[in-house]
Amino acid sequence: MSHLRSQQLSQSQKLMVFILSMSLFGIANIITEITPEFVLGPVELSVSYFAFVPLTMVFLFSPLHAALGAPLGEIIFADLLMGDFGGLGELEGFIEFGMGMYVAGLLVKDPTNKKQLALGALIGVGIDQMLSTIVDVGKVWFGIEELEAVPGVAESILVLEGISFTTEMLISGVLFGLIPTLWLVPKLYGKIEPLMGFEPRNPATFRSSAEVINVKFIIPAVFLGFVAMIAEFMATLDVNFAVWEPEFIDQFGMQFLWVGVSAAAIVLLVAIIGIVKLKNSQNPQDKSKGA
Amino acid sequence: MKSIKDLLSKITVENIKIELMRTAYGNKDTFMGKLDPRVAIVWYLIFAIIPWLFWNNTILLGFLLYMVVLLSISRVSPLIIILLAFGLVTEAGYIIFVSVMFGGDLTAAMALLTFTLKLTIISLASIAVFASMDPEKFSDALMSFRLPGQVCFGISYGYRMLPILIEEYNNIFNSFRLRGKVPEDRGVIHWKRVVYYCKTAVFAFYPMMLNTAKRTRTTVEALEVKGFTYSLKHEEVRKLKLSYLRVQPRDIYFFIFTIFLIITVIYIGHLYPIEREIHPL
Repeated sequence: MSHLRSQQLSQSQKLMVFILSMSLFGIANIITEITPEFVLGPVELSVSYFAFVPLTMVFLFSPLHAALGAPLGEIIFADLLMGDFGGLGELEGFIEFGMGMYVAGLLVKDPTNKKQLALGALIGVGIDQMLSTIVDVGKVWFGIEELEAVPGVAESILVLEGISFTTEMLISGVLFGLIPTLWLVPKLYGKIEPLMGFEPRNPATFRSSAEVINVKFIIPAVFLGFVAMIAEFMATLDVNFAVWEPEFIDQFGMQFLWVGVSAAAIVLLVAIIGIVKLKNSQNPQDKSKGA
Repeated sequence: MKSIKDLLSKITVENIKIELMRTAYGNKDTFMGKLDPRVAIVWYLIFAIIPWLFWNNTILLGFLLYMVVLLSISRVSPLIIILLAFGLVTEAGYIIFVSVMFGGDLTAAMALLTFTLKLTIISLASIAVFASMDPEKFSDALMSFRLPGQVCFGISYGYRMLPILIEEYNNIFNSFRLRGKVPEDRGVIHWKRVVYYCKTAVFAFYPMMLNTAKRTRTTVEALEVKGFTYSLKHEEVRKLKLSYLRVQPRDIYFFIFTIFLIITVIYIGHLYPIEREIHPL
C-alpha cells in the first residue's frame, strides 16, 4: 500500500477540474431547461437537474473543486447567460448544491466500489433537497406575517414541499442521479484522468482525514436541521393536522416560533463553521504546494 | 397527446440556439445596461432586501410600480415577463387551493398576495438589472467587489464557450440518434420515446465529458502560459483590468433618485397603509 499517497493537485490542475465541472454542468442545465415538464396539479414531473454530471465529477476528481464548479456552471450558463439570473436566490442554490456534492464526493473512497457510489449519490442529492426545503419553508415563515393566524397556508406549504421533495428525489436523485452515475463512473475511471494529465483517484487521493471527519458532522447536522425545521413548523401550527386549536397557539405560539428560528440558526452556524474549518484544513496544503 | 407532439416538434435545437444567442449576445444598449455595473449591483441588492422588511401592501405596491416603469424603459423581452408572471400566479394558486382543502379561507389568499408581491418585486429587480447587463461587465464588477478570480473568469469563459459547447453536444446527440433507433411502439403518452430521448441525452454525456476534459486541459495550459493564476494574486493586474470602470454623474443621479423614491414610498405607505387584518385568534 506504500504507493497510495495522498495526491496533491497543482494549481492548474485544480483550475482544470473546476472549469471542467463548470462547463459540463452548465451544458447539462441548459438541456434540462429546455426539456418539457409534465405538471399534474401541484405535482411537477420534471428533470430539475442532471445530478449525474456533477456526481461523476466529484467521484472522479477532487471533490472540493468539482463541487464548487458545478453550481457556478449552473448560475453562469443556465441563468446569467440565458437571462434569468435570480440574484441573491442563486447564492442560496449555490450553497445548497455545492455542499451536497462536496459531501457526496468525500463519501466515496474508491470510485470502483458501486455501494459507495450509490450511497454518495443519494446522500448528495438528499442534502441538496433537504437544505432547499428548509430554505423554502423558512422563506414562507418569514415572508408571511403571523403565519399561525392564517389557517391552512402552513399545512399546504408542508404538503407541497413534501410532494416536491419526493418527486425530486425520485427523478433527479435516482433516475438522473444514481442510475447514470453507476454507469458512467466505472466507464470514465482511468480513461478521463490521463486526458487531463493526472493519475486516477485512489483511496488516499483528494481526501484529508480532517475533511472526512467533518463530513460525518455535516450529514447529521443537515438531516437534524431538516427534521427540526419541519417538526417545529408543525408544532407552531398545530399538532393535529387540519384541526385548528387557537388556544394552543395562543399559549405557545411565539415560543415555538423562536425555537424553530433558533434551530434553523444553529444549523446555519454549524454549516458555516464546517465550511470554514474545511477551508482552513485545505489551505496549508495549498500553500506548501502553490508556492 | 397531439399537443405534446406539437410542442416537441417546435422545440428544435436550432431554435433554442438562436434564442440563447439572442439573450446572451443581444443588444445591451438600454438604460440599465448603460449604468456602471457596480452601481447596478448595489441597486439590485437594495431591492433584494427591502421587500422582506415591509408587510404594508402600499409600500410594496409602490416598489412594484417603480419596477414596472423601469422594466418598460429597459425593453426586456415580454416573453421573460409573461413566464415570470405565469409562474408566480400558478404557484400562489396551488397554495391557496391546498390551504382551502385544509379548511382555510380567503385570508390565506390575502396573506399570500403580500408574499407574492415581495417575490415579484425581487424577481423584477433582478430582471431589470441582469437581463440587460453585459456578462463581461458583470464579471468585472464582481472582481471589483473582490470575489475570487476564478468566479469572474468563469463568467467570461462561459460567455465565450457556450456556443461551442452547445454545438458539440448537439452533434453528439444527433450522431447517437443516427446510429440508434427510435422505438416504433410509442406506448401511452409516448412514454417509450420519452425514455429513449432521456437515455440518449445521458449517453451523449460520455463522449462529451471526454472531449470537454481535453479542451479544458488545453485552455488551462494556455492560460497558465500567460500567467493566469499568478495574475489573480496581484493587485496591479486587477487595477489595470478594472481601470475602465468609472462611476458617471448619471449613476449618481439615478442612485439619489432611487433613495429619494424609497423614502417617499415608505412615507406614503405609513400615511395610507393597506395591511392585512390579523385574523383574531
